[in-house]
Amino acid sequence: MNQTDRPIANPVVVLREEFDDWAVLFNPDTADAMGTNPVGVAVWRLMNGKRSVEDIVSKIGDSFEDTPSAAREEITAFVNTLAEHGLVGLELGRE
Amino acid sequence: MPAELKEKTEPTAPKVMRTPRSLVIEITARCNLRCRYCYFFNNPAMVYRDLPTGEWLSFFDELGSLGVMNVTLAGGEPFIREDLPVLLEGIIRNRMRFAFLSNGALIDDEIAGFIASTGRCEYVQVSVDGSCAEVHDSCRGRGSFDGAIRGIRTLQRHGIGVAVRVTIHRNNVHDLEGIAHFLLDELGLPDFGTNSAGYMGTCRVNADGVLLNIEERKKAMATLLRLTAKYDGRISANAGPLTEARMWRRMEEARSEGKPAFHNGGRLTGCGCPNNKISVRADGAIVPCNMLAHVELGRINRDSLADTWQNSPALNQLRSRHTIPLTEFEFCAGCSYIPYCTGNCPGLAYVLTGAVDHPSPDACLRRFLEEDGAIA
Repeated sequence: MNQTDRPIANPVVVLREEFDDWAVLFNPDTADAMGTNPVGVAVWRLMNGKRSVEDIVSKIGDSFEDTPSAAREEITAFVNTLAEHGLVGLELGRE
Repeated sequence: MPAELKEKTEPTAPKVMRTPRSLVIEITARCNLRCRYCYFFNNPAMVYRDLPTGEWLSFFDELGSLGVMNVTLAGGEPFIREDLPVLLEGIIRNRMRFAFLSNGALIDDEIAGFIASTGRCEYVQVSVDGSCAEVHDSCRGRGSFDGAIRGIRTLQRHGIGVAVRVTIHRNNVHDLEGIAHFLLDELGLPDFGTNSAGYMGTCRVNADGVLLNIEERKKAMATLLRLTAKYDGRISANAGPLTEARMWRRMEEARSEGKPAFHNGGRLTGCGCPNNKISVRADGAIVPCNMLAHVELGRINRDSLADTWQNSPALNQLRSRHTIPLTEFEFCAGCSYIPYCTGNCPGLAYVLTGAVDHPSPDACLRRFLEEDGAIA
């Protein structure tokens, strides 16, 4: 079994969408909370353990206008930050 | 994340959070004590009836679906509920954290061990009003001091965060130094909070023997400022003499030096709670705050909490309270502190004046000074 590049949202984490253009990811086990914007929310929803980061970047490009060239790097960094905080994991796959 | 990306569907223009972040829930109307200044009992707005377990569990499911982050369990005395572990499991299942407001006396190893095992408890707030039984029990009843301290030690033994609240009243205002020493030096607590008995519930019946008079308020403010310095900020307050001492000092400095108005001054801005939290009474009525128990906004498991939160006219009126200028009130006429005043707690304003949209006379600096008060 090896880690894949397919991130999966930690099921215990709560996504709180607010009325304005931000949201909060809240881990009730640790009380950690992280604010994010609509793109982050969309990324969060796409992390089901089946899509690769590349798939997620592609989906985001389909959903948002004028995706900047740095989107791939920013989304990758975002996923890594979430992983560092225990908000997402990486799906285990068979060799 | 790329903030400049524009979503293809237009979002709704926001005013407040979509759902409350936290709730204060009075899970029971029962209590093992009858404190002489309790806001909860002898309140004509209260319905002293407990809901069955299933009602709360259904409500917790709704809270989970709304992304509520934490609930504070109050009462009454929340540890009096025999089904407390089941209720906590419902909270945990719905991905929330929790805290308690308690008198401590019913906390034993079994429930403390369970709470610790969940890893979701923010803190248990225990009321301690004296450095010894004689002082503490004078308002809370015989044996209540021993119960509170036993509860605190049990929580400490299980590694659960303890937050002690000291309610200052006529019988303990002389004991503040002893209380600070006992809580911080002997019990080893990192800090504690203070407030004072307010003219609500049972306190209205016992006001003469409980509420601080002007001299006692002055004494409390001076003592707490001194103790706060001595204990390097380990004594806090969101209301009561310590808050007043700090706030009134700032107001007097600003007024005497002709400083510009405070950013939240001159209007009824004293309470921001309705923008991020809401409360539920023991009988299931949804209310803006435990201090405004007469303002029924709806009922759990009958009315949608999200709809109540977003669309209740009474709640939205409370949220717009901050737009009301203090110059509108005869009570404030001619007051030179208006640019620096927030009108304070709407709950106290209501019990003292009969109007929620009114400044609280209890927090009025001008009135305090006119009655021979002095700024510490």
